[in-house]
Amino acid sequence: MRNKLLIYIFVLATIELVASSCKKDFLQTNPAGEFLQSNYYQTGAQVYTGVVAAYSPLAFQYVNQYTDEYIDKQMVSNTLSDECYAGGGGATDVPGLQACNTYSLNAAVGPQAVLFVRNFTGIYRANLILQVLSNGSSISGLSAGDKSRYIAEMKWLRAYYYFDLVRLFKNVPLFTTPVPSSQYFSATQATPAAVYAQIEKDLNDAIPGLPPIVSASDNGRVSQGAAMALLGKVILYQNNTGRMLEAASWFEKVNSSGIYQLQSNFANIFDPANKFNSESIFEITHSFNVGNDWSNLEGVTGNIYTQMVGPRTYTGPKYYSAGWSFSPIIPAFQQFMHNDPRYKYTILDVDSLTKATNSGYIKGYQNTGFFIKKFAPLAQYASTTGNQALNFTNDYIEIRLADTYLMEAESIIRGGGTLSTAQNYLDQVRARVGLPSVPATLANIYNERELELATEGHRWFDLVRTGQAPTVLSFKGFTANKNEILPIPLDELNNTKLVQNPGYN
Amino acid sequence: MKIKFKLLFIVLFGLLLKASAQDIFIVSGKVKNKLTGEPLVGVTVLSEKTNKTTVTDKTGSFSVPTQVGSTIIFSYVGMSTIKYVVTNSENIKIDMFEDIKAGDEVVVIGYGTQKKSVVTGSISSVKATDLENMVTPRIEEALQGRTSGVTIAASSGSPGAASTIYVRGVTSINGSDPLYVVDGVPITGGIDYLNPGDILSIELLKDGASAAIYGTKAAAGVVLITTKKGKAGNFQINFNGYSGTQAPARKLDLLNATQYATLRNESSLAAGTGIVFSNPKSLGAGTDWQSTIFNNSAKIENYQVSISGGNEKSTYYGSLGYFNQDGIVATSISNYKRFTASFNSTVKIKPWLNFGNNVSYAYIKSQGGLNTNSEYGGPLSSAINLDPVTKPVVTDAATLATSPYNIDSLPLIKNSNGNPYGISKYVGQEMTNPLSYIQTQQGNYGFSNNFVGNVYLEVEPIKGLKLKTNIGAKMGFYGSESFTPLYYLSSTVNNLSQNSFYRDFTKNLNWNWDNTASYSKSFGKHNFTALFGLGAQDATGSDVNAVYFGLPVTNFNDASMNYSVATTSKIGGGYEYQPYRLSSTYGRITYDYSGKYLFTGIVRRDGSSHFGDNNKYGTFPSVSVGWVPSKESFWNKSGVVNTLKIRGSYGVNGNDNLSAFSYESTIASGGVRNYTIGNGTGQQTGYSPNAPANPDLKWEQTAQTDLGFDAVFLKYFNITFDAYDKKTTNMLLQLQLPGYVGSTGAPFGNIASLENKGLELELGFNKKIKEVTLSLKSNISYIKNEITNIGANPYLSGATFQASNYEISRTAVGQPLGAFYGFQTVGIFQNQQEINSYLGKGGKIFQPNAKPGDFKYANISGDSTLSSNDRKFIGDPTPHWSIGFTATASWKGFDLLLFAQGVTGNQIFQAVRRLDIANSNYSTKALSRWTGQGTSNDYPRLVDGDPNGNFTNPSNFYLESGAYLRLKTLQIGYTLPKSVAQKLGLQKSARIYISSNNLLTLTKYDGYDPEIGGGSYGIDRGIYPQARSFLVGLNITL
Repeated sequence: MRNKLLIYIFVLATIELVASSCKKDFLQTNPAGEFLQSNYYQTGAQVYTGVVAAYSPLAFQYVNQYTDEYIDKQMVSNTLSDECYAGGGGATDVPGLQACNTYSLNAAVGPQAVLFVRNFTGIYRANLILQVLSNGSSISGLSAGDKSRYIAEMKWLRAYYYFDLVRLFKNVPLFTTPVPSSQYFSATQATPAAVYAQIEKDLNDAIPGLPPIVSASDNGRVSQGAAMALLGKVILYQNNTGRMLEAASWFEKVNSSGIYQLQSNFANIFDPANKFNSESIFEITHSFNVGNDWSNLEGVTGNIYTQMVGPRTYTGPKYYSAGWSFSPIIPAFQQFMHNDPRYKYTILDVDSLTKATNSGYIKGYQNTGFFIKKFAPLAQYASTTGNQALNFTNDYIEIRLADTYLMEAESIIRGGGTLSTAQNYLDQVRARVGLPSVPATLANIYNERELELATEGHRWFDLVRTGQAPTVLSFKGFTANKNEILPIPLDELNNTKLVQNPGYN
Repeated sequence: MKIKFKLLFIVLFGLLLKASAQDIFIVSGKVKNKLTGEPLVGVTVLSEKTNKTTVTDKTGSFSVPTQVGSTIIFSYVGMSTIKYVVTNSENIKIDMFEDIKAGDEVVVIGYGTQKKSVVTGSISSVKATDLENMVTPRIEEALQGRTSGVTIAASSGSPGAASTIYVRGVTSINGSDPLYVVDGVPITGGIDYLNPGDILSIELLKDGASAAIYGTKAAAGVVLITTKKGKAGNFQINFNGYSGTQAPARKLDLLNATQYATLRNESSLAAGTGIVFSNPKSLGAGTDWQSTIFNNSAKIENYQVSISGGNEKSTYYGSLGYFNQDGIVATSISNYKRFTASFNSTVKIKPWLNFGNNVSYAYIKSQGGLNTNSEYGGPLSSAINLDPVTKPVVTDAATLATSPYNIDSLPLIKNSNGNPYGISKYVGQEMTNPLSYIQTQQGNYGFSNNFVGNVYLEVEPIKGLKLKTNIGAKMGFYGSESFTPLYYLSSTVNNLSQNSFYRDFTKNLNWNWDNTASYSKSFGKHNFTALFGLGAQDATGSDVNAVYFGLPVTNFNDASMNYSVATTSKIGGGYEYQPYRLSSTYGRITYDYSGKYLFTGIVRRDGSSHFGDNNKYGTFPSVSVGWVPSKESFWNKSGVVNTLKIRGSYGVNGNDNLSAFSYESTIASGGVRNYTIGNGTGQQTGYSPNAPANPDLKWEQTAQTDLGFDAVFLKYFNITFDAYDKKTTNMLLQLQLPGYVGSTGAPFGNIASLENKGLELELGFNKKIKEVTLSLKSNISYIKNEITNIGANPYLSGATFQASNYEISRTAVGQPLGAFYGFQTVGIFQNQQEINSYLGKGGKIFQPNAKPGDFKYANISGDSTLSSNDRKFIGDPTPHWSIGFTATASWKGFDLLLFAQGVTGNQIFQAVRRLDIANSNYSTKALSRWTGQGTSNDYPRLVDGDPNGNFTNPSNFYLESGAYLRLKTLQIGYTLPKSVAQKLGLQKSARIYISSNNLLTLTKYDGYDPEIGGGSYGIDRGIYPQARSFLVGLNITL
């Protein structure tokens, strides 16, 4: 009896011991069908998915049909400029754009939150991949060539996103690694000079790792040309006369590379069927995705701005019938361009078109009868399945050859370089559309930029960087020494150490 | 024969003793009830020294052999035991008191039991006798109104619907479901498998100190359920059954066709869009859609047979149960059936070795193709919103010749006569003719099979030391099947492409293993019990589902996955549960000194796989103390207060209820991570982290202080009172990260906190007055819930209200969870002058766009014009007061039961009418709308488009008091006299009863039902009402 007892006690005690000794392992569980960050990025293919994710914010178009907000950088810069009004269905349609048009921006109202988040999302994802690739350990299936290309691409993207940030907000925090949790709420803004220095460093680092030419299957990824052009642009934007020739030398590398040629027909540059054409140096891509509809707006890949700039309830020829009449062309700008050969490819005269064809459209808010044509919603490219409004495939050409020609000409003039080179590039841009030579003065170059690059999202940045904004934009309510940059978004100020930009408090 | 022999023996023996030994003699006497003066029959009388026993006869008399100095013990169920020391042979007169202590009841406390008299925590008990013969298909319903400290609201009246149960308020914003433990098995994934007829007792651990033994899982309270067991030497067969009918208690008062058309015309005209109906009078009363879906004689039935018995070595209990309830709404698609079987046994293998097991199986089939509380379609929502002009069935040739009835290609739904069901021309969106809708949902059902069981082995190597190992598991196989035919219910609700047949199957397994050692020992008046335990839990599960498109059949009954369809017409899916594991160490010490000074201390340490290495383990301590002054010598037990126990406790509980790997950063793909790379069409799938990891994520904690007392006063009254303060901290909330962090998701952090304070009172009265045994029980609870921290968030947005721009509830600091939030109306503008003179800041007209007949809104912001800032907290969906009342009385064979339950201090947001459908029908309240100066100051004018937001702005206009008092049960029973019963072959007892559930509900609320739990708590979107039922039942014990 007593022996038996001991046996039972022993058995029970053993069971309890086993139970307790297993504990540590017992609580270690593995996720089902889910990658953890701590065990992802183990293969070349996995790293590539992270590279794609870092590119993704380039095409972000914030869409929220409940708050009526539709925001991307191009529509914002067009609306801030003297090219377009806000437009839309009414005075409260897309409040963020309406605030751009009237310069009634404040921390809460405006497009800034979307742009701020877009760029920092890209920076985080680029920093993450850089961190993954920096730890030295070899990643299976990742060749040395791919690795250095990925690193170069991530640095380029980080530079690109920071360049947007420093231009739009001037005072932003600078991160070259994923933000550590200790800094979630304690980060402070860096000086613009520090941000610019990091951008230049990243671009310089990126150039050797990038391919001179991107294969067709990689279209959309960055090339050496894109890095050189962006570096020239970054230097140009810093307005340092002493460095203008340095900027010009980067542009020259692109312009004389032989890789890029001006399109012979100006009209073809923006044709969705002519993507990645010879003039395109860096292009932000949009594509069709049948999966996106109003109940699934996550990661809309179509270009909504195309839908937005179409005439409202339009029934005339050639154009898709249900645009939302945003970004109507300001009459003064229409007049300015009226006699230029590029006019008919840049501005759409819907009033005349509908009169001629006895069709119609609804005149939206701030209607002028003139609409953006470079990104207009052409019926022939409207999707026939999926949601049409969300699936226009028009790309943005963020940097194209005519732009780098003009920027080189500008930096040569401003830096006191070889005038004939500047004259040559200005002449080429004009000759393409059959215009005669004009002297390569700064005024003529800026005039040419306005005509050549109209509604492509450059105008407002040009006005600001050249100091013309306060006078040119005074009719919209532009306040000097304030509206050159956007307010820091309200959400970024809550519970953080960020300081609001001057004039927005 | 036997009895006669015994009597003879006693008499002979007595005579013999008297004759032979002087010191043994027979003492005689009489026992009566001190209170009533009536003789007590059947009192057990034991003479200790002679060890002789007898019982009192019909006159309360007894005779027993005894000696001088011997103690005679008189014991009787329900009476205090009396000890009498014999001094001489004179007749004894004994007065017995009814037992008012009830102190030796045993209470289940988790991994053990405790005598109720020494319990120091706040534990409420519900016994089987309270539940028997009640229409309580689910345990939550069984608890409603039974004890203090719980707020219970059915999610709807749909058969089998779950209830929302809050033990001492909302414990966490991340869920407040209590832990259910059935015979030592913690139950996850639904308690609905349990047949309340198998329940012996329910113990509710309300205070943190008692619940601490379940550490991690206990923050929201613990419901300990003990199922019925067999008893030694008492074989019995029991049958319990009832059958009855149910009907809706109330219909909404909606407009008839003429009234409807008149108001629609008025509303349309006011918006300048002309009349809708040319001749309202010609439309008559029109269709009463509600009557097309309500069933006034829906069946409900419940049958249970159980057997139990045993001997000193082993006991067993087994039962079979069947419950079937038809819904009162759209009965053919609203039904709940449950079949249950359970068996348990105990075996004493050796005097020191016990083995036991519980096994139960439940099959549930539930049809519920209705939205039970939703404004977005389904029979109820449609019946409320459909115009009364449309005919239920179209028979006239003229209409049949119009679209859509004349389009042969449309799969219109037709009745058995081949006539199509009417399709509204006026009310679209999700609203459909409920009769045809019901036809499209036939056969769709959900099912579950649950196996729950445990086995244990208990060794007692030395007296008082018990080593126990207990393995329990719940294994579930559940899923659903549905067939979507081709149908055309309206231009917006139709399926014209192809039919589909869907099947989904999930299996899960939760197991737990506990090893405990407990030791009890008394040294003099010191009584100790110590418990030490180790436990482990694990949960896994997986699902597969498939849908076949384009089966060559037209209805559910013919649908089968045996038909071969093209591979592209089969879509499969599935998922796995994320793993969950818990490992526990726990201990408890209880001590009392002579039952006067009481102490319990508990510590539990849990490790959860839901947390990272930084915080895998959490420790949950508690301590509780008690003092029983009525056991002190100075206490006068026959005074006003007969017994008194004062209790105090403090305990900390935890909650690890968050999704797995929240502490880690998971990787997601697609959507905002994709980019178009290639020739303009190729989207590449991007992957990036969801949210940064938060390795410091830790347990939510709920700390509770409880003070209370239990007392018996004036002999027949017992009272239990508790006051508590319950604080939940470190509640998990997503951190609102600044945009510059750049993460796509936000990590969880331990941010929020809330507090519940409350008072609870339970009062009972038991007395036998002449032949009437009367028992009254009541409880009342007050609770105040307040959010004390939600981090940097100004508020958390709550429930939405159709397509309104505004949420209707918010969670904000200083307010109860999910308080109603909206505009405040201050009357109706009677004329333009009132609008012009209602000025905001700076002398501006506050509501410049208002017209006479529109709501005047309070200027809460103090601004110049009305804006979203003019909103405030306007109500609370959660009741502050809950009460329950039970009265039972029996007289001879008759018994009467009355059980009522109610709440107050809450509001209901009535959002049943669809605002975005201009032609939705109205409540008859709309008849008293504003139609001109002085006509109304609380119901605004009707105008399409609602420019002033009279209806689209959530406001106090939609709020009504949610207070109600419901007569849940009224029951009259009759127990056959033994003689009659035995003639019928019913050896032990037979009782028949009639009963009504929800006979009466006193409320000012004018919707279907003021009891609205579930996901849309306190918001009436067209709730499936609870049925009023009438039943006949039979209870036989053989």
